[in-house]
Amino acid sequence: MRKFVLILVWMLMSACVLLLVTLPVNLQTQLIAGATVLFVMMVLKTLNAGGIWRLIALALGTAIVMRYVYWRTTSTLPPVNQLENFIPGFLLYLAELYSVMMLALSLFVVAMPLPQRASRPETKGVLPRVDVFIPTYNEDIDLLANTMAAAKAMDYPADKLSVWILDDGGTVQKRNADKIVEAHTAEKRYEDLNKLCAALDVRYLTREKNLHAKAGNLNNGLEHSTGELIAVFDADHAPARDFLLETVGYFDEDEKLFLVQTPHFFLNPDPLERNLRTFEQMPSENEMFYGVIQRGLDKWNAAFFCGSAAVLRREALNVTGGFSGISITEDCETAIALHSRGWNSVYVDKPLIAGLQPATFASFIGQRSRWAQGMMQILRFRFPLFNGGLSLPQRLCYLSSTLFWLFPFPRAIFLIAPLFYLFFGLEIFTASGGEFLAYTLIYMVVNLMMQNYLYGAFRWPWISELYEYVQTIHLLPAVVSVVLNPRKPTFKVTAKDERIDRSRLSELSAPFFIIFFVLLVGVVVTVYRIYTEPYKADVTLVVGAWNLLNLIFAGCALGVVSERGDKRPSRRVSISRRCEFDVGGKWMPGTIADASVNGIKVQLLGNLTDQLSVDLVSHVRFKISSTGEMGDLPIQVRNVRKQAGETAVGCLFMPHEPDDHRLIADLIFANSSQWTKFQLDRRGNPGLIKGTIWFLGVAMFQTFRGFAYLLRRATGSDKGEWERPL
Amino acid sequence: MKRLLLTCLFATCAVYLAQAQTSPFDMSPEKPADKTVTPPPSAPIELPQPSAPANTPDLPQSALTARNLNRPMIRYVIPQEAISLSGETSEKSWGVFVTEDQAASATLLTLTYQNSLVVAPETSSLTLVINNAKVLSQPVQSSENQKTVTVKVPPGILRAGLNTFKLAANLRHRTDCSVQSTYELWTEVDPSKTFLTFSGEASRKFRKIDDIRAIGVDNKGRTSFNIVVPALDRMAATTPMLHLAEALAVLANMPNQSVNISTSLPREQLPGSLTVLLGTDEEFSGLPQYLAANTPGAALAAFVDDPVTGGSILRIRGQDWQAVTNAVASLVDPLKRDIAVPRTFISSQTWRSPDIPLLTTASKTKLSDLGVGTHNFSGRRLRTEFAVGVPSDFYAGEYGKATILLDAAYSEDVRPGSQINIYVNDNIAASLPITTTGGEILRHFPIGFTMRHFRPGANVIAIEAVLNTTSDNACVPGSTTPTTRFALFDTSEFSIPSFARIGTVPNLAGLSGTSFPYNRSDRPLPVVLNNGGAKSFSAAATLLARMSVAAGRPLEVDARATANSTVNTNALFIGAIPQIPSTVLIQTGVSEAIRTAWSNVGGAEPEADASNTQVEFDQWRERLAGRGWRGQISSFDDWLNRTFNISLESFSFYAGTDESFTPEPGASLLVAQRSNPAGDGLWTLVTSPTDDQLSDGLVLLTRQDHWSNLKGHILTLKVGTDVMQDVPVGEFSFIPTQPLSFSNLRLIIANWLSANILSFSLLLLVVSGLLGIATSRLLSNFGRRK
Repeated sequence: MRKFVLILVWMLMSACVLLLVTLPVNLQTQLIAGATVLFVMMVLKTLNAGGIWRLIALALGTAIVMRYVYWRTTSTLPPVNQLENFIPGFLLYLAELYSVMMLALSLFVVAMPLPQRASRPETKGVLPRVDVFIPTYNEDIDLLANTMAAAKAMDYPADKLSVWILDDGGTVQKRNADKIVEAHTAEKRYEDLNKLCAALDVRYLTREKNLHAKAGNLNNGLEHSTGELIAVFDADHAPARDFLLETVGYFDEDEKLFLVQTPHFFLNPDPLERNLRTFEQMPSENEMFYGVIQRGLDKWNAAFFCGSAAVLRREALNVTGGFSGISITEDCETAIALHSRGWNSVYVDKPLIAGLQPATFASFIGQRSRWAQGMMQILRFRFPLFNGGLSLPQRLCYLSSTLFWLFPFPRAIFLIAPLFYLFFGLEIFTASGGEFLAYTLIYMVVNLMMQNYLYGAFRWPWISELYEYVQTIHLLPAVVSVVLNPRKPTFKVTAKDERIDRSRLSELSAPFFIIFFVLLVGVVVTVYRIYTEPYKADVTLVVGAWNLLNLIFAGCALGVVSERGDKRPSRRVSISRRCEFDVGGKWMPGTIADASVNGIKVQLLGNLTDQLSVDLVSHVRFKISSTGEMGDLPIQVRNVRKQAGETAVGCLFMPHEPDDHRLIADLIFANSSQWTKFQLDRRGNPGLIKGTIWFLGVAMFQTFRGFAYLLRRATGSDKGEWERPL
Repeated sequence: MKRLLLTCLFATCAVYLAQAQTSPFDMSPEKPADKTVTPPPSAPIELPQPSAPANTPDLPQSALTARNLNRPMIRYVIPQEAISLSGETSEKSWGVFVTEDQAASATLLTLTYQNSLVVAPETSSLTLVINNAKVLSQPVQSSENQKTVTVKVPPGILRAGLNTFKLAANLRHRTDCSVQSTYELWTEVDPSKTFLTFSGEASRKFRKIDDIRAIGVDNKGRTSFNIVVPALDRMAATTPMLHLAEALAVLANMPNQSVNISTSLPREQLPGSLTVLLGTDEEFSGLPQYLAANTPGAALAAFVDDPVTGGSILRIRGQDWQAVTNAVASLVDPLKRDIAVPRTFISSQTWRSPDIPLLTTASKTKLSDLGVGTHNFSGRRLRTEFAVGVPSDFYAGEYGKATILLDAAYSEDVRPGSQINIYVNDNIAASLPITTTGGEILRHFPIGFTMRHFRPGANVIAIEAVLNTTSDNACVPGSTTPTTRFALFDTSEFSIPSFARIGTVPNLAGLSGTSFPYNRSDRPLPVVLNNGGAKSFSAAATLLARMSVAAGRPLEVDARATANSTVNTNALFIGAIPQIPSTVLIQTGVSEAIRTAWSNVGGAEPEADASNTQVEFDQWRERLAGRGWRGQISSFDDWLNRTFNISLESFSFYAGTDESFTPEPGASLLVAQRSNPAGDGLWTLVTSPTDDQLSDGLVLLTRQDHWSNLKGHILTLKVGTDVMQDVPVGEFSFIPTQPLSFSNLRLIIANWLSANILSFSLLLLVVSGLLGIATSRLLSNFGRRK
């Protein structure tokens, strides 16, 4: 009853707002109202008002957006009998409507995200048996070894935990491949992995044929195991020690719980972060998803499975016959299937695994193409809106998650639209300069402010647009192909452990330069038109400004596709741990200052520069956190630097024995709170104005960097190794 | 604010005049005349003029006395004081009513015109079309002095009843091809020398009541009814004579009508006037034999021949005043229209043809139905206009937008930078730049324009195409008749959305448009005439006649009312200032100081009020505008003002209160309107310093061109300069005119909020805030919480 009244009141208020924003008031009134709302939103933003004020600010923004849509619909569409204007005009209109719809859906999803759940270091009662699945296809064995070691080191009774390597790279089919090299590689992988598994007490499992890709592989694991819960980790996603303790308990509380998902935390930057050098200062792209959106989804019991770093209930999976494999994003598809059967999910907002993400732009695009295509398949085969099993909020949530991947279409239209006017004089948006100011500009600023309100600390201004733009060029054909031929795409494993030894242009960079030049011509045409056609200078200025904005993104994207050479594939996480360093047979006390997947930095007392030389092979020993024993880790010295009263030694891991991986895993993955700290350090909302100025600076610099790379390539200096990355 | 407006107005006028005066003498060498001029289709006939000496309209009117009875009857045809056809194409269309006898008689048409010096005669023409038959067409070639042309109107062209006259000028510049030069083109037709000449005695006579419509105009386009009431002072006579005046006005429906009430017969019957006798048989006994009602059983209301003038006099008689009142009613009743029956047209034929459609809801009207034909144009500036009417409860001025769906085409010669402008009542309302090269066909291309300048009643909307062409820039001599560059098709449509409808008072524009709200009352309108007398009655009759024409039917009046008897009803107060009670002044927002301001106006023009602080302040501001950085800011302010029409006054939550008003001493007529003391009716006050000024002022005010500019809450008129000043409506109240409906209410709110900008912002903030709170409550009760 109370809920009914609340809905009724809310609907009444919505009707009032709707009524008000669809009043055909004149331009002056709109301008003043828009400016007033903008001002109030700014004040609320400046005061950092949360709680109810946040929702009031969002409601104000919504009112302005709705006014824009009303105006856009009723007075800006070109007349239908001018098809040359109407068709592109209508496409632009649809693109804008899509953006508004996505804004509405995300408003629904993240209007009030769930706060972080309390940490649960101890679990009462009987612990269930857990099978850990590590599906692998072609990943490096060293990488797998770390993951396996970390999985084995998780705090959990050993008799209730079995770790499985599900190897799809060593299947009978692969080992008997017609191509002899391929067969040989598979055979060797099969043997090496078996050996490693035996040493680390991990169970190795492979199968006859590579059917249904990752889903098939996981289902094979399900068939051969019996644990009540299944934890899934990608080959490069190593869990922290507290992973199971933080997650397993929820299954006890809710019988119908099928999933506990945790965020993916990455130790290496994605290509944009690496090339723009933002990894250390700006929140990662996926933090918006894991930091806000999943929490929002969680409110509506719609947090979904992201393929790794999650625990699932076998009983639930059995209901749907294991993991679903119609689409190439089996994770989300499985979650929909179970949600629609009344099962629940939980999201724990604490990084409990650390992994790697694609390093090169090409593999980044490859990964995103898979996600986009998979989500399109879900949209096509399991359209969430008409899925009777889902609750209404769940439907909207899934709709939001899947429709998001249509962004290449509107992005492309926004990119091209101003050129229609600048190059061909088509008027696809009929409005005067004044109307642009009073409606469009205010709408755009309000939209940015709403984004900032929703995602402020997790996504800086214009970064979403940049990510979407750099993906659009290559995702558009991928999405089009899946729309035309929904069953065609196949699962491709994303390479994540590539190294970029040399600075170079990405192999996918050509279209970005072409687009940049076309937009640049657009700017020239803008200036020309303003001088030769003064009678429509106001519209030309507005369209020219829009084109200029596109040019700024295009310029920034040139930096994204100019791959910086980087010796370290993964970043260091600062830790502080006592250790002893073997200097000529003598154990010197020291501190491990930071660690990456590849090495550590050790700080030793006193000046030891004369006793340590580069390439010296030695050992570091420290106390293993899981067992309390001391462990010896072989290392090689890479550099030695004198500091005040200390010597800093950079070391590379030299793992020989499988046990060495346990030590490495213990160093990097043992403590999940260090990752949280790393994330928090780069979170922070610069605000709209500061963020915009910062972005403009980055864009300017990256444009020049892109051209410098192009110049080097053109002059042939690309052949040699570029010693100093720009 | 008012003064600011006026200043702007003056400035605009000054600019316009400056433009108009730009060198009519072009010093550039004359171009060789085009040798291939085709002769005009119908050359004027040089008439043998046996009776031609009579056609000397220069004669003083008084010369037309009984001694000239054998002279042909002259009928002026132009219903306005002056008529100027300006620009490259211009046309006027109106109707002229003739009686059966006049239609049957042999008729001549005389037209006198003069054109500007720069008009090229070879390529310019002036045509007069009657009922779609070209009666006169000739090159425009009289720049030095007036030229009079007389042609024979072929028999059968004029018909009994309304005849549509269309006067069209097609003018081209001698030397200049610029758009600017088209403003120097004009042809003036002299109304006092443009007339029809009917032969035969019968054409002077009116036979039936309907012939009143053939009253016509005098040499200045005016129409007057001389009502002779021998017993003027009888109380019983007042209401019938006012009703009679109204009926005559509605019947004749001429644009510039006045009523003159007197006790004695005028000495002569001038063109455009009609003498009407009103009284009992007994009162007529003193009149000449042929007028006295000595025949028992004579018609109660009928024309009698006047042997002195050769014309007819309308005589309305009865045994007693009751019978006279009934006789008047027999004239009035057929003209009555039920209040519930809305008009679909504003009857305008006698000054603008066709009749103006009265649009009361969303509608689309083809331009062909509005009297605009297809134009194939080869000049620089095409201007064509039409009129549409909106009801008096039109309340969409602030937000509304009308649309012209334009069917047009332009050739590849037309260059970007050309534009199509829309004017509403001579205010620019929209400007559509032509931006493509290579020509284009526009099919129902929408041009939206603000309805801010719409007012109740008739509205003139002009479409102007300003064409900038390559060949004009070159302006090669001899290329004065280029091919068609621009075509405007009569399939274009005027489209008006459904608009907010609610009456507002006070609003003098409503009075001018449809006599709102008096036209909607089913009770007689109390008219308070504190002091009788011929002048006062004439003034009241002239005003009521005008109001009845606006309302489209005679308004019932009650002339016995007093200020006290009307505290809770509508009322109209007419009288010189000494007779106006203070309560009426206060109630209508006029300061008591008006009495002293007007007391010493003894006909002499008072010294002009020189120190007008606001005006001077504005002048200083204008002089210093655009200088230094402040100038830059103010030019941004200008842009803001031009684009959004935002000024400090726009920032309001609701309309402010009005201050009481004192007119300038020079003003000779004041009209003020405000609710009655009870707040349930509307009082309108019309006053002047003296009775004479009152009646002269009202004749001037009710002229078509002045009446249609009536607006605001208070208006003053200066006789002599014809300057009208108004006080804009401040405080006002609504009068519902439509049944309550959601869509109408929504539009009314939209208009009110558009006028009170800050209220909309505030409302948006409040409602959004409430939605935010409701959302917050909703979200904390749905979904997971912890």
